Amino acid sequence: MPETAELSLIDQTAANEEAFKKTGSLFGLETLHRKESDPGTYEAVWHILSNLCNAAWATGCKVSSSPIAAEGGDALWGLHTPTGEAICISRGISAHAGLLSDMIKNFIRIGYEEYPGFKEGDIFENNDPHYGGIHSPDFDMCMPLFHDGKLIAWASCVSHVADAGSVTPGSIGFMNPDCYSDGIAISMERVGENDRFYPWYEMRIRSRTRTPDFVLGDARGRLAGCITIRERLAEVIEKYGLDFVTDASKEYVEDSRRYAVARVKTQTVPGRIRKSQFKDLAMKGKRVLLAKQDIDCMFNLPMEVTIKSDASVALSLQGASGTVPFGENISPTALKSGLMMGYSHIVGFDMFNSGPISAWDVEMPPEGSWANPFPVDFEAASGVAWAPAVTWVSSLYEVFGRLFQMRGFVEEMAAGAGTIMTAEFSGVNQSGMYLTGLTLEQASQGSPARGYSDGQNSAWCIYTPEADFGNAEITELYYPIMFLGRNVAPDSGGFGKFRGGLGHTAVWMVYNTPGLEYSCGDAGMRSKTVANHGMYGAYPVVPDRPAYAHDTNVKELIDAQKPLIHERGAPDNPAVSSKIKAKVMEDNAVAPFVTPEQLQDYDIIVHPIAGAEAMGDPIERDPEAVANDLNESWTTHRVATDIHGVVTNKPNGHVVVDEAATTAKRQEIRDTRKAQALPFKEWWTAERTRIQAQENMDPAVLRMWASSMALSPDYAVELRTFWKLPEDFVFETQD
Amino acid sequence: MAEFDKADIEKLIDGVLPWPATQDMLKSPKDTNRFDKYVEIMQARVDFSDPILLPLTPNLFIVSEGGNRVVKCRCGQGFGDYRVNWKISALIRVRDDEASISEVYVGREMPDPKWMQIREYICAGCGSQLEVEAMPRGCPPDFDFLPDLDTFYSEWLGRPLPDKSEYVDKTLDAIAEWQA
Repeated sequence: MPETAELSLIDQTAANEEAFKKTGSLFGLETLHRKESDPGTYEAVWHILSNLCNAAWATGCKVSSSPIAAEGGDALWGLHTPTGEAICISRGISAHAGLLSDMIKNFIRIGYEEYPGFKEGDIFENNDPHYGGIHSPDFDMCMPLFHDGKLIAWASCVSHVADAGSVTPGSIGFMNPDCYSDGIAISMERVGENDRFYPWYEMRIRSRTRTPDFVLGDARGRLAGCITIRERLAEVIEKYGLDFVTDASKEYVEDSRRYAVARVKTQTVPGRIRKSQFKDLAMKGKRVLLAKQDIDCMFNLPMEVTIKSDASVALSLQGASGTVPFGENISPTALKSGLMMGYSHIVGFDMFNSGPISAWDVEMPPEGSWANPFPVDFEAASGVAWAPAVTWVSSLYEVFGRLFQMRGFVEEMAAGAGTIMTAEFSGVNQSGMYLTGLTLEQASQGSPARGYSDGQNSAWCIYTPEADFGNAEITELYYPIMFLGRNVAPDSGGFGKFRGGLGHTAVWMVYNTPGLEYSCGDAGMRSKTVANHGMYGAYPVVPDRPAYAHDTNVKELIDAQKPLIHERGAPDNPAVSSKIKAKVMEDNAVAPFVTPEQLQDYDIIVHPIAGAEAMGDPIERDPEAVANDLNESWTTHRVATDIHGVVTNKPNGHVVVDEAATTAKRQEIRDTRKAQALPFKEWWTAERTRIQAQENMDPAVLRMWASSMALSPDYAVELRTFWKLPEDFVFETQD
Repeated sequence: MAEFDKADIEKLIDGVLPWPATQDMLKSPKDTNRFDKYVEIMQARVDFSDPILLPLTPNLFIVSEGGNRVVKCRCGQGFGDYRVNWKISALIRVRDDEASISEVYVGREMPDPKWMQIREYICAGCGSQLEVEAMPRGCPPDFDFLPDLDTFYSEWLGRPLPDKSEYVDKTLDAIAEWQA
């Protein structure tokens, strides 16, 4: 294969693709010479390069001043081959590794090597979804790295800024009606030279974002991390030689591809696996920006995975529903990056880089769907494109969990992930400073049930290995709020033999502000529905339902030293409405929303964070585990008895299992199930009539089916055939 | 390659393997004969003698019954040809109104029945809840997994099954036989 020096990067990319097609090995590397001839150095350099990225993360997050990076570590740095493949990445928000790789490939593909050219010290950025970005608050950066005048690698970074100037404050732009409202666009630009940003780049950020000091702090953090990579890489090259580093870098990518393919072949089963998934976005009647947004939406998020005989993996989204008039549409490039992130969690790359995803054959999602909006719906907004993507990627956990079970690798199984509902504030804080941005509560969900145990409480996050909700005291420094509670939420991890890790509740009191907006944002939540994650007979996690109280009596309660509110409360007796009086009381709000009222001192917010999904028949749960959950106040007697069939006593203030009564109760549940259930065919006969009558189907559901069937004709044929509907059957909508 | 005792794998399945041993399993290179051990363990736990070809779920198995590849619950209840979605041979309880949903989810935790229904697939033999689906009306049940069984045995395990079966979804063929 020709060497990089002889070809332009665009021609080298084409040569790499041809070599892969011909040999089945990335870069045509049928043999890993460096690994075979010097495995010790090969391994050592891998760890040095990985830690070089981690050094960039540590440096960049500290240079950055925003709470998102400095407190939450919500950023990522990477090292890439000259043609863009990620060699290794830092700790941090791993979901972006694919995006950064694709951004570099895009710069090469559209001819930037010729004009404006790549040279030492150049800084390139993109955050524009039309060119592969995920959403405007995620600023993707890359810098070409040179040795003796030759481009030998790229450093990259992404950081999530507190505000990107979208139509509503903050960085979770679910409300954005179109791409023009998504905020400041950095569209495949060179934003600086000689390690310095252009003055006009900084001026644009100052005039077009709400928290420019933080946004520019993040920019300098990105740059500092990339320069760290450059300087450390030079040291590595000096010690090990350019040839070794260049050769080994390609081998790490191919090595990782081989590892993932081997793992699929030795730990899964060939065949076709299907997982339907849905997500609601109920906005009708709420505060919105444009008339077209006074509408409820439902997403169809189907996943079909085929494990082929050669252990390669094909993936289809046939049936995906159409775009929505909100900021929840995603480009296929960004979606693939999310997929790579999920795959890295599940299949577990030995070396996290671009290798494994090259063994995927991802069918282009239906044109005009939420997963492939442009150019059919060129104006589609992507303010928080992660929202449908994260709920879709959750299916991948269950899909591979099922495959691992079939081969007996029970220790590798996982159920579905938790949902992501964010909290953002905007207003003037106790220091007289305007602030907007995320809290980090959502970065610490429960973890999915495993094949052998419950998940862990508040210890995991689907989009980042840095599961950390930050210190309450630091959050209170930035935002004019006080934590009244942060506690484990009972029954928030589904109901199954093994339950998901439980989520938690944050209870905030607004304090020391002339006025504050609370945005209960959708970064992948469900409020009207539950996930289709009833794995092996478990019940899915409850919907996300926040609460708030405006114009309250909390000050009087404090003055009188009366009890306040510190928790969510029972589902049929919310703590907020039972303990607080207020002129505006929303104790069961359907998310997402931005409060129509500006919140004031002593207003209360009850913000739930989801647990993850369960697996297994709930009546097979170890009765002692149920008793333990009761003793910890992690479940309730209703769920223990009615769902798990566990009868308990409390003789000495401690819950103990009544074994005989439990055995009888569980048999009673089995008998009741059989008595109440119908043969499938009998239900099918009645159900197909109800489908044709569109009985008890919300308009959002009808619109979803209509668009799914229109965008994916084969999917429509299968749906009609299953229910024996007429060939021309369509769901009628009122639009 | 690591070797793990069958007894430890049984403990893992039952959720009682101590955490250090579980970590060891997670971190060590995988044992190449795990599938065979797992099938042996499951075979000893089910209430039938037909040989298990593939554990579809912890409760459902593709077995060879008189030369036919069929799905069976661990209690022995049959669900027919493995290439037809077993769910259409199960009992089903559908919760699509507030009264039935509130038996599981109460108050603010209740999903909206106009947006979705909860489908519980029940074994007619033992009353086990085999799967639960949460889907809007109109969605066909997921055919969770259609294995390419012959490729698996012949190319991946290196021991072909004595007979062959076409790798094709036959669910819609079965539905076609039903009177609407």
